[in-house]
Amino acid sequence: MLHILSLLFWLVIVPGCMGFIPANFISAKKRHPGFVLLAGYFVMWALFEVVAIPAVLFVKYNNFKAASVCFTVLGILCAGAGLWLVFRNWRMNRPGLMFGSSGWDDNIDDIGVNLVKRLLERGVRHVVKMSWAERIEWLLFFILLVFQLYKAEAYASFDGDDAYYVVESLIAQQADVMYRILPYTGRPTDLDIRHALAVFPMWIAFVAKRSGIHATIVSHSVMPLVLIPLGYLVYYEAGRVLFGIGVKRRIRRRRRGAPQGKMDRKTREAIEADSVFYKENLPAFMVLMALFQIFGNVSIYTNETFFLTRTWQGKAVAGSLVIPALFWMFLWIYGSAGKRRHPEAGMWLVFVCVNMSAGVCSSIAVFLASILIAVTALCLAVVERDYRVLLKMGAVCIPNVIYMAIYVIVGYSYLLR
Amino acid sequence: MWGIFLESVVIFKNYMGFHENGYLAFLYLLMLLYLWLAEKDKRRRAVFVYAPTLLLLMFFCPLFRKLFVKLLEDSETYYRLLWLLQMSIVTAYGVLSLCGRFRRVGLVVMGALIVLCGGYVYDSEHITKAENAYHLPQDAIDIVDMVEPQEGRITVLVPADLIYYVRQYSTNIELPYGREMLIARWDYHHAMYEAMEKADVIETEEFARLAREYPCAYIVLKTDRAVEEPLTDHGYILYGQVGEYLVYQDTETTG
Repeated sequence: MLHILSLLFWLVIVPGCMGFIPANFISAKKRHPGFVLLAGYFVMWALFEVVAIPAVLFVKYNNFKAASVCFTVLGILCAGAGLWLVFRNWRMNRPGLMFGSSGWDDNIDDIGVNLVKRLLERGVRHVVKMSWAERIEWLLFFILLVFQLYKAEAYASFDGDDAYYVVESLIAQQADVMYRILPYTGRPTDLDIRHALAVFPMWIAFVAKRSGIHATIVSHSVMPLVLIPLGYLVYYEAGRVLFGIGVKRRIRRRRRGAPQGKMDRKTREAIEADSVFYKENLPAFMVLMALFQIFGNVSIYTNETFFLTRTWQGKAVAGSLVIPALFWMFLWIYGSAGKRRHPEAGMWLVFVCVNMSAGVCSSIAVFLASILIAVTALCLAVVERDYRVLLKMGAVCIPNVIYMAIYVIVGYSYLLR
Repeated sequence: MWGIFLESVVIFKNYMGFHENGYLAFLYLLMLLYLWLAEKDKRRRAVFVYAPTLLLLMFFCPLFRKLFVKLLEDSETYYRLLWLLQMSIVTAYGVLSLCGRFRRVGLVVMGALIVLCGGYVYDSEHITKAENAYHLPQDAIDIVDMVEPQEGRITVLVPADLIYYVRQYSTNIELPYGREMLIARWDYHHAMYEAMEKADVIETEEFARLAREYPCAYIVLKTDRAVEEPLTDHGYILYGQVGEYLVYQDTETTG
């Protein structure tokens, strides 16, 4: 029981509370429980990177112990800061950080008094408003999700790389050592910089250590239950932007553009089409995404295959959580044309943390994330005719530059000796 | 340069599974083309149309590939650049934009196409019913439970099919060689591995001598593994049997 409570604490409560920090710095109408949890995870992984990498590089003995103690303290402090922001908003009668809509009561719910009840009420309200088609599509999506979770639990997926990553987690849990023992044999080894900077296995080891569950069980049985829903939460949030915010604005624009009381047939049809697009596409989008994951195994290399067969490995998280999260960020910040949007500080904070999470997952992911950001920023700068986009996106990539600099300095330092 | 370009084409084809009749890539390219023609929103065009197209061009560009390999010192992971296309998001968005008010029909048709053109992820020889919460073969766990010391670490020699699993269960078990020996393209040489796995019949005397160099406290052999002379003639005792594996203890090493 204590194991499960500890898992809940480190996998739900701590990231959830950390998510209040960026949520505090976005506008109230954009706040959403999904955003809070996702943002919290990215903040948590970024924090873990900041703590674990120096420990890997500069602490030789018991470096995992040092990193996990520091992360425990800082993690709880950050979660506490998130709760403090909720409390402050409540004291100042500001909109809540979880739902952002209704002020005082919302804050009470944010700190957990009626949170589950409130979430259920909102869920039921949404279901009542839905058309039957939407309900069936959501049902279909949840069936597909539960099917994937069942498969992840009931079936073992063999992957040779586990002999490296899972064993690294287990070494950290059992011997308090990070990247100083060769996982394949157990002999001492020099730091392998390509793997040592990607500390995702160490985060798994941290969860294992704190919960007292064997790291292999955490990797193979617990992580899929967390990371698969989290992956879909990224798609859900991206879908909310794709089929929500931008389209809503388009409908308003069309209405404003039409002469008072005399809307021509073409405009009426366009608004109707947009309304359908806005309201009903999200569940269909989620069903298609779930089908793509299940049937995306056209080769062993696709990110969909990685997502469902190596869920617990950093590279799978990079392909199916971090890179889609970058898309989510682009859509959120530059998702729709028209009136220039002013993304709040909270979104930029999450953007930076997503980038840092790429480094937690794998060193190649840092490179990939930088390429994606550079290419997309270039395209956006051209279509927007605003080259400040490049500067902003360049600033977001600063953690990547630092990461790559560490990679090069440590990886090639032997040349200087 | 032409050769590098052709290599990229092969990587693309392998990634997209053309050789295994996987045609999801065509759905993606079709939707990308549709979005090129139909997407009006300029910012979404940038994210969903221009950026993926540019990334595809970069993927096939020999200079870019050379740079990628040079920087990362790794040509095997070049395919991961294709992860940036996020085929699923772009395709799903394209389909729903295309279908408009006929979303339900579109969803059914597209769902059917994904099933037909894709590959079922659980239809793999590497996915088997889990035997325990570790998702490791039970035999591997039972063997480690049998030989693991109360304190400290020991070295155990195990057959190739257990190498991946033993240390996922306990890091108190060390191995004379690990998974690196099983990947042919890495091309490592290891005398113990040669004696254990490559020889048709294990030459017991030389084998025991090599094993004692580490020293391996236990040796695990499959019941059908051919040996020149029984290990029990060379200072080992049969310690136990787990499934199809025989566990020998070295009396010289363990005292």
